[in-house]
Order: sequence, then structure tokens, then C-alpha cells
Amino acid sequence: MQDRLIGGVRCSEVLAHLSDYVDADLDAATTERVENHLLGCPNCEHFGKNFGSMVASLRNESNTPEAIQADAISRMLSQIYQLGADS
Amino acid sequence: MGRPIRIMAGVTWPSLVWLDLLSSHLRGFHMLDRQSQDLAAFDHQLISRTANGDRRAFEQIVSRHATAVFRLAKVVTGDAAAAEDVMQKTFLAAYRSASTCGSDASVRTWLLAIARNTAQQLQAKQGREVPAEEPLLNLGLDAGWGSGDPETIAIAAAHKDNLDKALSTLCAEDQEVLILRDMEGLRGSEAAEVVGLGEQAFNTRLHRARLRLAGALRGAPPLDGVVQEGGA
Ligand SMILES: [Zn+2]
Repeated sequence: MQDRLIGGVRCSEVLAHLSDYVDADLDAATTERVENHLLGCPNCEHFGKNFGSMVASLRNESNTPEAIQADAISRMLSQIYQLGADS
Repeated sequence: MGRPIRIMAGVTWPSLVWLDLLSSHLRGFHMLDRQSQDLAAFDHQLISRTANGDRRAFEQIVSRHATAVFRLAKVVTGDAAAAEDVMQKTFLAAYRSASTCGSDASVRTWLLAIARNTAQQLQAKQGREVPAEEPLLNLGLDAGWGSGDPETIAIAAAHKDNLDKALSTLCAEDQEVLILRDMEGLRGSEAAEVVGLGEQAFNTRLHRARLRLAGALRGAPPLDGVVQEGGA
């Protein structure tokens, strides 16, 4: 892997900024430099796109809740009401 | 076709480069943000009704946040039974001290911070594992940066089973930042608050955790019974 200077940024800097880019946390100037690099560097573009879609998949996972038994919740509630009344 | 599309204030995305990523952003991130504002306001209503002794309101708080609390507690304690214990302690604390929930933080952030503290106290004797400080470049190389096959991480991540399995191979520190920021969709500042870090330190940890997740996805053999579609 060559650390190439494209669009005024090195590949290694793009790698370091990738999460901030995906989260839209970069300032406008850095965003533009990262994008110029991505447009001119197939390696970083290829990795960044797939890294970004991994993050999107992870975010979609929030729609599939961890199974908590319904009776665990009602057990918990009745204990809380008992303990809560004691305080 | 090449016209940049504006998604969030101050940020433009090149439509050519990130087309598929962009559509997920539109569906996921953007909606999540607006939804979370409405939901956060409703949560605050529910919490003040809880403070006035309204059990129905409290039960709504529980049903809206039990999954997030349980998921975080399970990662920190590494055990489902301990996580149930943490969940009960968390909601008991919330029930008793609903009036102390400030209006600045979101109710979810407040609950998750209680859950994390409670879980850590349980774990205190055993100590916390701290991920080794590997150079970022190595994490990138493991994740497929510069390798020519980074699509394997996106393909693997599209299957929930693969994603769960890869997540479970990461240390608790990595898992909790991914859960808070990506799976629960907390804002960076909120997630950082739950973990007790500054926002920049949190983002650094998040990026490393995502790269390690990518590395785990890339290294994992395909699951039995899952047909991975190739380019043929
Ligand atoms: Zn590059």
C-alpha cells in the first residue's frame, strides 16, 4: 500500500479521518480535501465506500432489538415497585 | 449526475463517489436525528410524570429503553444474568430519582450512564481490559485498506449473524462505543458523556473500534448456510 499524496492529503490521513467523514463531523475544508483525495485515489475510495456501508449496516442493526423475555420485564417492575415503596 | 447533494448543514457529499452510502445516510442518520428530537422531548414528559408517581409513564420509559440498557450492560459485564441485575438496578435508581434527571441530557443518555456505572462497579474487582494501542495503519491494513478486497467487509456486515459474531470477538471497550454511537444512535457528545470521555477522545476510540470490527468481519469465515453472492 503506497501512501500517496492526492488532493493535498495522504492516504494515511484519509484513513485516519474516515469515521469523522462518514459521521459528517469534519469541517468543510477538510471534507473537501478528503473528497478530492477519494475522487483521485481508487484504493481509498474503494475502502471508504465499503467501510461506510459497514457502518450503515451496524446502524440498521439498532432495529433488531436484543431479546429480553417479557416476563423478565414484569418481574423487574414488580420488584422495583416493592423496593421503591420501601425507600 | 455529478451535482453534490446537501444532507446536513455545512456538508456536501459527492453524489458520484458515495451513492449507496448516501442513501443509507438519508434513510438512517437524517431521520434518526429528527426522530430523536421528538422522542427526547416525550421522554422528558414521561420522566416528570414518573417523578410525580405515574407508574404508566415509568413503564413506558422502561419499554422504550430496556433494550439499550440491557445491551450495554451485557457488553460491560459480559454476562446476561449480570446484565439483568444491572438493568433492574438502573431502572430502580431511575424510578427513585426521576426528579434529578436534568433537562439538558437526554433521558436515554442519563439511563445509559447509570447503567454503565452500575455495570462497572460490578466489574470493578475483575478490572477492565484495555485495547492495545496498535498503530492506525496496522488496523487499516487488517481491515482491508489497500488490499483490493474491502468489499468483503461490506458483504459480511450485511448479514446480521456475521455482524453479531464479529462484534462479539471485540473487547468490551470497543463494543460499547459501537453500541452507543452506531447501534443506539446516540450523538457523539452524548455517547462520549456516557463513557466519560471528551468527544475527540471518544471519536478516536470509535474509529479504532470500527476498524477492528472491519478486520474481524474480513477475517471471519462465511457462516454455514449463508450463501454469499459473488460477482458472477
Ligand atoms: Zn488514498
